[in-house]
Amino acid sequence: MTGGRLRIEARHLTKRFGDVTAVDDLGFTVEPGRITGFLGPNGAGKTTTMRMVIGHIAPTSGSVTIGGKSYREFADPSATVGAVFDAASFHPGHSARNHLRVYAAMGGHPDQRVDELLSLMDLTGAAHRRTHGFSTGMRQRLNLATALLGDPRVLLLDEPSNGLDPAGTAWLRSFLRYLAGEGRTVLVSSHVLGEVQQIADDVVVIRQGRLVAAAPLAELSGAAPAILVRSPDAEALAQVLVRRPSAGPIPRVERIGPEQLRVWGPDQAGLADLAAAHGIRVHGLTTEEPDLERLFLDLTGSTR
Amino acid sequence: MNRLIRAEFRRLLATRMWWGALLAGGLLGGGLIGMLTLVGPENFDPPMPGLHTEQGVRTVVGFLGYTAFVPAAVGTLAVTSEYRHRTINFTFLFAPRRWQVLVAKIVAHGAAGACYGLVLATTAAMAFFGAAAVKGVALGMPAAGIIELLARTGLAMVAYTVLGIGVGALIRNQVAALAVVIGYLYAGETLLMMIPGVRHLYPWLPGGAAAALTDFTAISDALSQQLSTDPVHLLSPVAGLLVLLAYTALFGVAAVLSPMRRDVV
Repeated sequence: MTGGRLRIEARHLTKRFGDVTAVDDLGFTVEPGRITGFLGPNGAGKTTTMRMVIGHIAPTSGSVTIGGKSYREFADPSATVGAVFDAASFHPGHSARNHLRVYAAMGGHPDQRVDELLSLMDLTGAAHRRTHGFSTGMRQRLNLATALLGDPRVLLLDEPSNGLDPAGTAWLRSFLRYLAGEGRTVLVSSHVLGEVQQIADDVVVIRQGRLVAAAPLAELSGAAPAILVRSPDAEALAQVLVRRPSAGPIPRVERIGPEQLRVWGPDQAGLADLAAAHGIRVHGLTTEEPDLERLFLDLTGSTR
Repeated sequence: MNRLIRAEFRRLLATRMWWGALLAGGLLGGGLIGMLTLVGPENFDPPMPGLHTEQGVRTVVGFLGYTAFVPAAVGTLAVTSEYRHRTINFTFLFAPRRWQVLVAKIVAHGAAGACYGLVLATTAAMAFFGAAAVKGVALGMPAAGIIELLARTGLAMVAYTVLGIGVGALIRNQVAALAVVIGYLYAGETLLMMIPGVRHLYPWLPGGAAAALTDFTAISDALSQQLSTDPVHLLSPVAGLLVLLAYTALFGVAAVLSPMRRDVV
């Protein structure tokens, strides 16, 4: 990587397609040296936002900059940003190698870089095959190879795990971690939360084009640990809990079955003591791991 | 800019289409002209003056203009295939100053159009002179003049390539753009020639201007004869060249400007 670290900054970013507002007054930053997960349900405006970063789509209002400049201002764009969008962005009649050679020439990158990336992406054996017959996974890897031709300082990936097998996904995770470790800025969009949960340092969550949350992942998902309670007297326990048994905030209780509750607020010991004090039977207490999926569904209102 | 032109040459040479286009140039140039020469314009329907006259020579050579759909289609595909196969994603990522991409396409494909024109003119010359020799006809025009006609036709192919790029950039949808380009070149202008009033525009249309380059009036004369109308008078070769250059510039500018503000979604 040549050149300094670059922060992406979106300010009041808005895009309207006719009557449809795809992105609405969106503001966030993407820090270099970290992997940022860009989350939202399908149609939330993730792709539109990412395309505005690289000037594929012109904002209706607001701005998005990379290191304080708009993408068009960079003298060496492909060494600045690499981006992966659709699952197939190449001519079906071109071989993988010829496809990469076209863009190596366009970016002024040496042909040797083509061979390096074919090897890195495990495509050397398929280098002379026309992309027409490529599997989805091979297409994704060829897309990634193209994005990496210029050894870019910023990497944008739109739903990169689509079509990758579990081994490929694991490889991609460690690869993106490595790139971020070198100081690059990595933005990965996904609607698959488990995926982002495993790789992201920060998350930006959007819904209907608007910002819902932007924070380090640990902060966001650590905010609300829950305890799963199994009890034949679940309803009685729920009543006791919401009567504010002790000082502090009122626990939040969710009834998830005749004998099951999910409780936010007290810890396991406090909850067990409270149940004992009221003669309520408890058959099991489990602290739930911070679950971004639940948080995500809460934040984006998808449970409605 | 040089990088982009180099990339466009690589893109062009990476598909089989380009070699197919050159092969088509050879087959159309050699095959079509060879056949027309062997048959002889005096045997056309309606009959035309024979090869021993200047007009007969112009008639046969002028038919080469009908192969312009090949470079026009190549030019159209240069732009539309980027949208169809989504390579435009990478192209505008690597070259965010979009006008430069279109200029590079015009340069690279213009050169390709010149290659097509060269193959077309060379094979046509061989077929024409060969077939005339076989028939033992004394041609109604000096050889140098015939070669000049062929060279003009070859050059017109560059203009048609750029015209194709312009239409491709404006329409973007591959099927629609190809239908417009090929439909217009094949049928559109000929149909226009049949409409009273509008037909007088023909000399100023791209096909009419290209026909003026070789003073090719066979089709318009035949139509006039069948429709019993006055023949359409073509522009002089120089004026035809200027009109064709103007179209080339117009479509070239349209190609360069058209992607500037459009969103790539």
